[in-house]
Amino acid sequence: MIVCVAAVGQQNNPLYIQSFTEADDALKLHHIVHCSLDVVDERVNNPKKSGPTLNETFLGMLYPTENYKVYGYLTNTKVKFILVTTDLDVRDADVRNFFSRFHAAYVDAVSNPFHVPGKKITSRIFADRVRNIVKSFGLSSTG
Amino acid sequence: MADPASSNLGRMLTDEITPVVMVLRTPLVEEATRKNGLSFIELLNPFCAFNNIDVPVRTASDQPYRLQKFKLRLFYASDIAQPNIEVAKVRIKQVITRAGEKDFPEVSSNPLAIETVLGATQHKVLPSWFQVFNQELVHTVSFAEHEAFDHPVACLLAVSSKDEESISKFVDLFNTNQLPSLINDGAMDPKILKHFVVVHDNQDGMPDRATKVLTEMRNTFGANNCRLLCINSSRDGSVERQENPWASCKSDGSQFQQLGCFLSLDDVDELKNSMQDLSSKHIIPYMEQKIRVLNQQVSATRKGFRNQIKNLWWRKGKEDVPDNPNGPTYTFNSVEFQIRVLGDYAFMLRDYELALSNYRLLSTDYKLDKAWKHYAGVQEMMGLTYFMLDQSRKDAEYCMENAFSTYLKLGSSGHRNATRCGLWWVEILKARDQHKDAASVYFRISGEEPLHSAVMLEQASYCYLFSTPPLLRKYGFHLVLAGDLYKKCDQVKHAIRTYRGALSVFKGTTWNHIKDQVHFHIGKWYAFLGMSDVAIEHMLEILACGHQSKSTQELFLRDFFQVVQNTGKTFDVLKLQLPVINVNSVKVVFEDHRTYASETATSVKEGFWHSFEEDMIPLLSSMRSNWLESHGKNFTQKYKESNICVAGEVIRVHVELKNPLQIPISVSNVSLICEHSSGSDETNPDLNSSIDNDQLRKLAINGKIGAEASSFLSGEIDLRLGAGETVVAQLSVIANIEGTLEIVGVRWKLSGSVSGFCKFDSDILKKKFARGKRKSKKSSGNYLKFLVIKSLPKLEGFVHHLPETVYAGDMRRLSLELRNPSNTPLKNLKMKVSHPRFLNIGDQDVMEMEFPSCLEKKRSSAEVYVPVKTCKARTVFSFPEDMVICGDSTCLWPLYLRAAAPGNHSLYITIYYEVGDASSIMRYRVLRMHYNLEVLPSLDVSFQISSHPSRLQEFLGRMDVINRTSSESFQVHQLSSVGNEWEISLLQPMDTVFPADFLMAGQALSCFFKLKNCRKWVNAEDNPSSLVPSEKADIRLVCGNGEALFDTSRLPLVDFHHYERLHQGISDQDHQTTVDFILISQSQSDDKSGINIFSHHACDCSVGSSSPIWWLIEGPGTVTHNFAVDFCEIKLKMFIHNSSDVTASVHISTFDSAPTIDSLSTGASVSSANEAGWRDLSVLNDIKVTSDAVGNHSGKLLSPASVSPFIWSGSSSNRVTLEPLSSTEIALQICVFSPGTYDVSNYSLHWSLFGSGDEDDKETGLRLSSGTCEGHSYYLTVLQQG
Repeated sequence: MIVCVAAVGQQNNPLYIQSFTEADDALKLHHIVHCSLDVVDERVNNPKKSGPTLNETFLGMLYPTENYKVYGYLTNTKVKFILVTTDLDVRDADVRNFFSRFHAAYVDAVSNPFHVPGKKITSRIFADRVRNIVKSFGLSSTG
Repeated sequence: MADPASSNLGRMLTDEITPVVMVLRTPLVEEATRKNGLSFIELLNPFCAFNNIDVPVRTASDQPYRLQKFKLRLFYASDIAQPNIEVAKVRIKQVITRAGEKDFPEVSSNPLAIETVLGATQHKVLPSWFQVFNQELVHTVSFAEHEAFDHPVACLLAVSSKDEESISKFVDLFNTNQLPSLINDGAMDPKILKHFVVVHDNQDGMPDRATKVLTEMRNTFGANNCRLLCINSSRDGSVERQENPWASCKSDGSQFQQLGCFLSLDDVDELKNSMQDLSSKHIIPYMEQKIRVLNQQVSATRKGFRNQIKNLWWRKGKEDVPDNPNGPTYTFNSVEFQIRVLGDYAFMLRDYELALSNYRLLSTDYKLDKAWKHYAGVQEMMGLTYFMLDQSRKDAEYCMENAFSTYLKLGSSGHRNATRCGLWWVEILKARDQHKDAASVYFRISGEEPLHSAVMLEQASYCYLFSTPPLLRKYGFHLVLAGDLYKKCDQVKHAIRTYRGALSVFKGTTWNHIKDQVHFHIGKWYAFLGMSDVAIEHMLEILACGHQSKSTQELFLRDFFQVVQNTGKTFDVLKLQLPVINVNSVKVVFEDHRTYASETATSVKEGFWHSFEEDMIPLLSSMRSNWLESHGKNFTQKYKESNICVAGEVIRVHVELKNPLQIPISVSNVSLICEHSSGSDETNPDLNSSIDNDQLRKLAINGKIGAEASSFLSGEIDLRLGAGETVVAQLSVIANIEGTLEIVGVRWKLSGSVSGFCKFDSDILKKKFARGKRKSKKSSGNYLKFLVIKSLPKLEGFVHHLPETVYAGDMRRLSLELRNPSNTPLKNLKMKVSHPRFLNIGDQDVMEMEFPSCLEKKRSSAEVYVPVKTCKARTVFSFPEDMVICGDSTCLWPLYLRAAAPGNHSLYITIYYEVGDASSIMRYRVLRMHYNLEVLPSLDVSFQISSHPSRLQEFLGRMDVINRTSSESFQVHQLSSVGNEWEISLLQPMDTVFPADFLMAGQALSCFFKLKNCRKWVNAEDNPSSLVPSEKADIRLVCGNGEALFDTSRLPLVDFHHYERLHQGISDQDHQTTVDFILISQSQSDDKSGINIFSHHACDCSVGSSSPIWWLIEGPGTVTHNFAVDFCEIKLKMFIHNSSDVTASVHISTFDSAPTIDSLSTGASVSSANEAGWRDLSVLNDIKVTSDAVGNHSGKLLSPASVSPFIWSGSSSNRVTLEPLSSTEIALQICVFSPGTYDVSNYSLHWSLFGSGDEDDKETGLRLSSGTCEGHSYYLTVLQQG
């Protein structure tokens, strides 16, 4: 299950962060997302494995915490997408698929002329769309 | 890489993994040393570390090397045991608590900026007590049985010279029941090196007895193993030292000076020498010897191919042994343990190669034996040896990891060992700059004990900080985690410290959730410690937490106010975030020569007023045309620099306050912070230009208490802001004394306990102001700075009874009240109204009359009618010269309101007045009033008029009235035609048309009336009384005769009608062919006290034709004729009327062919185009009113007849000349040849007006000078006779 998704701007400012858990652990997830930015920075700044991964937006698993797995994605405009999940075995393809759909939703949201770049995304449509994407996460692999 | 020995871990290992000397002493020895405030071990400890001992050593393979550094660890026999866990815990807790007290950050110091944290060296940032803590943790697992380096290498037996039978005492000391359990259990070799010392206290006399004992000892124990130690040589106990070597052994430096006070320099030297002797001459050679012996043994039994095979086979055989969690026990006799001792001794003597080879050997053995604890211990040592050898990094890490996880597998018993192993592992990683890995190891170490975990997490966070590149976010996160754990363990100070560290990471980011939480907790914890000031400082950061959930906001606010209440005082806060003050929204309303009657008037743009008042206000140049000119110049100079306000008059400031929270907050005592300086000290304008925060605070607090308390009065208001609400607070200040007044900022009180201040940043306002229109040149001056001038009279005005919402057509009389509270008279009052169509200025004498009955027609005809001069150009109304308003007297002036058109309307009134007192700075002022009026649609009135089919100068009209309101009902009272040219009469009595009294909402009413032109030729010089409108110009539409009719020629109605026409773009010229109607209706007013009058004006309703020539054909409708005899001749008469003011010539031409359809109804189309306000009503669709429509219809039917069914006989062309407003009659004749129905309309009428060269006519352009009209339809039926 996805517990949290986030979009983080160029200045590492949160653009959108939404948790999908019942429990009141928003703060913890904020922390996890915030920490994962360190890893994103690290990956971006030291591209050890260049070559095929040179233009790859998908950053793969950023780090495993006790209960969560954190995945990252970096757009061309240096906007980071973070996914926190509790699933233990996640297929890379699912995560990639999730991120590409999330990216599309994000692009649509920021294309709104009323959206101020660099400010939080407050669009309800975007939120609904993300919720749907989150809901359908992992379904493609099972059925 | 640097030498591993000089690394942090290297130092740690050379300190910790050193030979242990077991100390056994008699109580008298202890007594002697106690005199110095030291125990025996404490006395010796400073001399056990040797930095430059330089002892030659040989390895097992006879390789010589020299030991430079060496250290002995001294322990009492009773202490050589595994420490009690509970005691250790308490000790560790003490360490942490003490560190918390010591490291507690200064309250005043702000959290370091993250850049400085990054820039600082490790040692500066890293709290130093971590090392102490880690050491304590390591010590909790000392003297373990599976390790040999804590096992005593030697034994120091000390007997005092005072002891009786010293020799037997020595024997007694090394008694089994005093020895540590390690030796008794057989885990350790009891045969260790023994060293005997007799301690002599010089205060007890000369050391004769001691030397005697020594010789005795030498005889018994051997010459080399005995030694005499003399202490306390200084008798007076006043030995001063540069550096007290014992300073470090007592943590609390209370009796610092007394430590070793009886020890003379000789004593110290002796101590030093004896300890060095002990280590270099006894212990090191002993260890060397032992290594050699053990190595030979091990080589003999275990080294070599054969031994290994044998060993393997032998161990395989033990495989069925059940798994013992602690593994098999190995006594000191066992080969395994001997190898371990060999390894540890080699390690302690820095022969790492040897140590490593033995550890390797041992680890496979232990592994095969499944002696996991021993195995882990060996792995641990292997890791350390690899590190000290600085060979294979991977191996070192692998071994440590292996040891760590193996310890963890042992369960709780191995946990502390795992901690120690982890700490060493971390140090290995740190020494190699693998900080990130070190952090993760710290994270793994943190176990069940929350306090220990907290420290580990904190250490982990520092690892993230020091890693390259620094992982700041992880640093922050782990600090927060550590802080939480600290708090759990009641280490509040530590918690605050870590959170403050974390704050430096989150500062300046937009991760508000985290930031708020950190601030909130710091605040709470400071409050817990009773440091309310700092607590509040942090709590303030989170007040504007609009992004948080409602419950969180409630929590934040509740806790904040709790903290504030606990302090019991009010706080002054410079940057209180609640409510949010929108400084950009600040709007200042003040009155100089412009005064405003209401708030709404101030919101109207200055540009509008300016253009509106243009023709009232004298030019500035004309203002100064007197002896005051110089004064005026001076004044304008000042005037340009700052705003002017009048003493005693209110300056209003509108500030937007916003509550970002989802919970309501109460804000009280909102008021302006002002600074007043009496006298015009314009010489130093920069003085006040920059008020810093301290001054602001002072100003704000002092407020009215200051010396100039009475110089200004700042009003206070209380507000309650709902969730997310934005309120514009209207603050006011009144300057009482002349001088300058500057509005500095605003202050308020949140929930009655916290005061906030906000400075109006003049820079922002200036920028904003520069865009404004008032005085764009004034860029240097301060927008919020006012020049206060002497008080002036100020006119106050108010329009009474002005409703906000009225129905269209509503006509009322209002009264304008003017008041001048001061005693100075005002003169030269002028007034201007923006919408004369809506608002009309009356005469003062009508005030006494009752409205609306004053409009009623008087029954008595005796009253002389005075025609009203319409006031066309009266845009500016001047009040009578003799009107003086002063001294609190009021003056009422009538105004008439008529809601002319539906919609929202803004009515502006400006009153100009001059101050009677010539000495004042301002010559004139204006009072601006603004009212909004919402007009709802009420009755829709439309008229349609067509000419009477059978009578000249008469017309049939239809009036349609629809009630457009939703609830109101009206009584249609009266229909009047304007002017005196028309007479109206109803076709049917009103009660048959519309029996009900009231026209209900949505109801429609149509009534037909006859309109008669009664225009007569009059000369302009005629008696005006002949212009008295005829009684017949009005018809009563209401049933019953009770109520009087209203006189539509009276003042307000006439004026309103005039402006209505003006609005519709119709010239005031009379037009013969159009009629203006006024429909007057009534309704009960809301308060039932009287009636409201509504007047609806329909202007320029065209009568049937636009031509000034009206005509009519008269003749029989049906003729019976015998066509067998003759064709039929029918005589017709045409009546022609000239309705114009000039003579007209009319020419009638007949033609026998059927008229074309196109030309048939030019007149009709004109008339239908002029049907003002006509609305298509389905109800009325079937009623054929217009004869034109019928004609159109029948003309179409008849036109196909190919042969003209009749011919005109008689003259085919007639020309007549008609005097103005006169009629004539022409005879026409037609011949009909067969029976049928004929439309006699195939004639045309050409007319032209003479003398139409009048200027007027050309100007108006409305009248036609000539034209052609097609004939009206006239139907004639001819029947065959017989």
